[in-house]
Amino acid sequence: MSEVIATNQTILVVGGGISGLTAALEAAECGKQVILVEKNPSVGGRVSQLYKYFPKLCMPSCGLEINLRRLKANKNLRLLTMTEVTHVEGDTGNYTVTLKTTPRYVNENCTACGECAKVVETEFASEYNYGLGKRKGAYLNHPMAHPQRYILDARIIGTPDADKAKAACKYDAIELDMQPAETQLTVGAIIWATGWKPYDAAKIQPYGYDRYPNVITSVEFERMADPFGPTGGKLLRPGDGKEAKNVAFIQCAGSRDVNHLAHCSRICCMATLKQTTYLREKYADDFKSTVYYIDIRAIDRIDDFYQRVQADTNITFTKSKVANITQDKDGNPVLHGVDTEGYHRYSNPHDLCVLAVGMEPSVPKDGFPMSIKLNPEGFVEQDPANGGFFAAGCSSDALDVNRAVQSATASALRAIQVVNKVAGMEG
Amino acid sequence: MSNYNNEMVEKFRGNFLKEVEANVEEGDWVKMCMQCGVCSGSCPLGPHWEHPPQEIFMLIRANKREEVLNSSSMWMCTSCYNCIARCPRGLPITHIMHGLATYAKRLGLAPKQQATAKFAQLFWDNLVKTGRVNELKLGLSLYFMNGIGEGIKTSLKMKDIGLGMLKTKRMSPMEMLGGHGCKDAKGLHAILKKAKEIEEAKIGIHGA
Amino acid sequence: MADAKIGAYICKGCGLGERLETKQLVTIATREGKAGVAKEHDFLCSAAGVEMIQNDINNEGVNRVVIAACSRRAKTEAFAFDGEITLSRVNLREGVIWVRPDTDEARETTEEMAADYVRMGCAEAKYMTPPASAQEKGSNNHLLVVGGGMSGMTAAIEAAKAGYPVTIVEKTGALGGAAANFYKRIPDRSPYAEPMDTGIDAMIKTIEADAKISVKLNSTITKTSGAPGSFSADITTESGATSTENFGAIIMASGFKSYDMNLLPELGGGKSPDVVDQMGLEKLAKAANGGAIKRPSDGREIKKVIFVQCAGQRSEKEGHLSYCSGHCCSTSIKQAMYFKDQNPDIETDILFTDLRTPGAPGEDFYRSGQEKGITFRKGVVSDVSPAGGSLKVKFKDLILNEEISDEADLVVLATGQVANAGVDIEAVKQDEPGEWKVNADSILNMNYRQGKDLPHLKHGFNDSHFICFPYETRRTGIYTCGPVRRPMDIQQAIEDATGAALKAIQAMENAQLGRAAHPRSGDLSYPSFRKEGCTQCKRCTVECPFGAIDEDERRYPVFNESRCRRCGTCMGACPVRVISFENYSVETVGQQLKAVDMPDEFSEKPRILVLACENDAYPALDMAAQQGMQYSAFTRVIPVRCLGSVNTIWITDALNSGYDGAILMGCQKGDNYQCHFVKGSELAHMRMSKIDDTLKTLNLEQERVATYEVAITDIKRAPQLIEDMAATIEKIGMSPFKF
Repeated sequence: MSEVIATNQTILVVGGGISGLTAALEAAECGKQVILVEKNPSVGGRVSQLYKYFPKLCMPSCGLEINLRRLKANKNLRLLTMTEVTHVEGDTGNYTVTLKTTPRYVNENCTACGECAKVVETEFASEYNYGLGKRKGAYLNHPMAHPQRYILDARIIGTPDADKAKAACKYDAIELDMQPAETQLTVGAIIWATGWKPYDAAKIQPYGYDRYPNVITSVEFERMADPFGPTGGKLLRPGDGKEAKNVAFIQCAGSRDVNHLAHCSRICCMATLKQTTYLREKYADDFKSTVYYIDIRAIDRIDDFYQRVQADTNITFTKSKVANITQDKDGNPVLHGVDTEGYHRYSNPHDLCVLAVGMEPSVPKDGFPMSIKLNPEGFVEQDPANGGFFAAGCSSDALDVNRAVQSATASALRAIQVVNKVAGMEG
Repeated sequence: MSNYNNEMVEKFRGNFLKEVEANVEEGDWVKMCMQCGVCSGSCPLGPHWEHPPQEIFMLIRANKREEVLNSSSMWMCTSCYNCIARCPRGLPITHIMHGLATYAKRLGLAPKQQATAKFAQLFWDNLVKTGRVNELKLGLSLYFMNGIGEGIKTSLKMKDIGLGMLKTKRMSPMEMLGGHGCKDAKGLHAILKKAKEIEEAKIGIHGA
Repeated sequence: MADAKIGAYICKGCGLGERLETKQLVTIATREGKAGVAKEHDFLCSAAGVEMIQNDINNEGVNRVVIAACSRRAKTEAFAFDGEITLSRVNLREGVIWVRPDTDEARETTEEMAADYVRMGCAEAKYMTPPASAQEKGSNNHLLVVGGGMSGMTAAIEAAKAGYPVTIVEKTGALGGAAANFYKRIPDRSPYAEPMDTGIDAMIKTIEADAKISVKLNSTITKTSGAPGSFSADITTESGATSTENFGAIIMASGFKSYDMNLLPELGGGKSPDVVDQMGLEKLAKAANGGAIKRPSDGREIKKVIFVQCAGQRSEKEGHLSYCSGHCCSTSIKQAMYFKDQNPDIETDILFTDLRTPGAPGEDFYRSGQEKGITFRKGVVSDVSPAGGSLKVKFKDLILNEEISDEADLVVLATGQVANAGVDIEAVKQDEPGEWKVNADSILNMNYRQGKDLPHLKHGFNDSHFICFPYETRRTGIYTCGPVRRPMDIQQAIEDATGAALKAIQAMENAQLGRAAHPRSGDLSYPSFRKEGCTQCKRCTVECPFGAIDEDERRYPVFNESRCRRCGTCMGACPVRVISFENYSVETVGQQLKAVDMPDEFSEKPRILVLACENDAYPALDMAAQQGMQYSAFTRVIPVRCLGSVNTIWITDALNSGYDGAILMGCQKGDNYQCHFVKGSELAHMRMSKIDDTLKTLNLEQERVATYEVAITDIKRAPQLIEDMAATIEKIGMSPFKF
């Protein structure tokens, strides 16, 4: 890796999802020096795992392509993947940041020709597909992965598979002795955009995510709908591989719940409405779906998407937080509860039950690399005490993509204010 | 007690939520319900509820005093705590249900022939007499709760169990004669009397 | 400028060396492509390979670099050379060997495919010149903010903090906008429990103390002209005095109007002074200033307030707003707290259908409202009417499933926000060139050919159409923020205004360097126009999605380079082909398709031309190759900036020179269009619908030309569309136009 040059006029962006990418690109396109670090082997974050966006039902990879083109073309921006921030010291305009880079075992010579993946045999659960399906020990997460460079799973290092991979590479791109590296940088401002993670559905005991194979999460359903996902775009029940044509969606699975996440995760209602359209897309009229909700939060101008889904007579909305799930002899999840609009008790079997899991901020509540004001839900507060440290996207609140990008754009300006001030003082 | 009822109606001027907050155990929580219905769905006796808990909370907020207090619903609660465990707002629903039931009874509005209410009264009367529950008497009073005819019928039906219990010394026929009690039943009665005074003062029952 | 010298570099890596006769390709580049330098290399993207090319640029005078290796989407950073050069990428990996079987039978056609692509790359290079960046670089970095409300003030303060001078133009006599009438605002800090100070006074003080910000009150914009970096605005005061000032970028923060509650008589709107909207209640609360809010009608004490959510909103009824305004649930909670905080005995009922309090702030605030004793009821209100000194509210309680009739002293209607977005340019007639007039309803009074204000998007808001790019504007250098963009509360407006300020700053920085703004960020090419050939047909001025082209009095187009986003829609529109970019023109594409070696009619080797949008269809084909999918070896794909840039001459030329079929692949069109140049795909479909006449003239079958909407995820479908065309050609036969 060539040397990373940074000064106290450099902006560090942590996290290469849609928010971090945006913040980094917007700042770099204003002429600022930016370093973007991403923990994973490629940028794109959670949006790269989405099949479609609400409410336009367009493809997230379309915007990702534009952002990647901006990224490849911008000389002000330096991307470091497989890198995390372990420590931050200093104050506004002058931070010393410690970065830790995990070995990829593949260097810049890689042409993404794919020969290594052909010879490696060991397979692992695919993180990209939330554990549905497998990937090789030498892999590229998805066709649009950037950098377009393979990665060797650390678990194959020291096995014959690693040697096979090395032998298959004609470009001297595989370095089996690559070591973790620690780097220290000086930067002027930090944008924190580490995003979110799906709430652990197994913690919602009555829904039996850990017991019933046909109870899955919304992020898993999303991967299934993707033609390049683990099921080739088919909506199959994990339990028996049967096509799921009667699908239940449970809203607020972990959100708006003091036992789990106290906040509303904002996106789940719209995500579910979107996912009901996948059923119509795959099955035409041959499906049924029920959405169990407390309040449908199709906020502001995208409410018409809700109206559109409501008009679909195959989709029913039941105002109810489902009490619990059992499983019948055919493996169908049976949802029990009360429709609170007029008190109707139900026990409804479905082919598949999708838990619209909440957004948990990927901001470490304890052990944050510097002292930061967080709110009780774990999101970063916009507080002057945070100095030259600004949250972008879902590090600041549960946000949809549109708002996350707005937040990222705003945080880019806040960071620029800091480095411009530094530049002004230093003449 | 209907006097007390009138007083309360007068005092809270038709604001039943305020009345519940003031007079019902954990009544302060009622306003926090967001009508998700997970309590109603979680109750094992659910189908027997005329108004499930979440609906009761809405009825309270909608000022439906009679409908709530006359209801048999909250008497259905068996204290399984499923609802409390699942309530996303952390409402102590079980306690509120018992609180409402107790309050309805105090006001004299609880349904007259409600089985749980009757049992509760028998249990209480049985308990406070000596400070210990006399199971034999409690059992028999339960059998005869609805009259002599039904009492005999039930007793005959249960006789094998009763004899079995006698045989294994799980029950003593001697208990019919007073039975055993706590050491200081008088002291207990004094404690309970004082507790009653404090509680009634708190919720505005005068010299009842 | 030095003479053009092509350097063609053929890579042998990634199996290209094994699958293709690379020596032969070098020969083709030299003999047919007229490359001054042509080399092959084992591993072109390696440091050594890149150095070899850079060396030729530095020492051999190579200035038209042709890289015959992988897709232009791969190894972009490696092939970023220094120097004034053009770069053509010949896609031999994803475009040839990965989509063809490695068999003896396939070898010949695969070779031909590669050879053609090398010819095409050299032909393109020959007709390209290095972009020199726009000539009209604007250097003004002064920001104009139109509107002095919360959004406008935020944009001004934040831009000034980054060092940029700002002028705020405000129509009224004071800063503060709608929020100046608010008693308090929804909290933005944990524990998100109490209404907080609006902060307006502090902001006004900040602005007054900031030497970088000047404020013009009682003023409006009566004319906006120019381009990013060189805008000019006429600022007219109430008295009519006008000054003209120059700006680098513009932020439009013209806010919202409340939906007129008099249009809701069924909810009591206009029927009693005791029925107010949310703005009305703010005024009452501000006047009470923490004391008891009295009934407007008779000044009596208020004992019960009912808040009616979604009043005239989320409704399909004629004249209602079909959307949700997003903030009203939290606003009603805040307003109910005004009463509860002053006197907890006041009853406050909020009647809603879906309570929408998102995120951590929203849900915490909702809980705080419940703790304060606000009653929430899921219900639909059917009637509010004055009755015996109070108000009767009829609604259906959806939980209790019961029609309820309730009484209240005051009813607050949560009506929606209507964007204050100026004139709808689609609905009004444009002024004739040279006859431009001020329109009092317009916010910006732009003298653009395409209208005085920004285009209205969904529901009349000036929103961006794009999810990933909320600031993508259709008028470069002019950004909107706050409730004019979408309904929102103060907190969101602050965030939005800060983001808009960044985009405005970016537009000014771009203009200074003469480069394009999003989505072709950094592009230095710009359209040049040959006036002699122009027939003043106006297609380019009408079709430019960004209003970049004006008309002079003789109806000739006037290009504003800094407004241009380099999509090439004008180039596609021009029937006489007088518009081109240095590195993308009618010639660069036209010569490529003509460079293909055309086999004769009896060869059974048809040729299919594919013009693919570089953002979606082209990546889809690349990814199809990555996934090991195959398509016909008779295909020749040319990426285009946008389908809107496709000039029909390319199709006519292709058919005339013997192509057997042509496919255009663009993005989704229609309401949910995905084209980042707005109408490119739609225009292409429209233009191609007229190609039938050409086909008839040539006596060719209609099926030979097809236009499709292809998404970036159509990885299976895109190759299939090519296969379908190959099958069609097999059925209808070869084109007779082979020479």
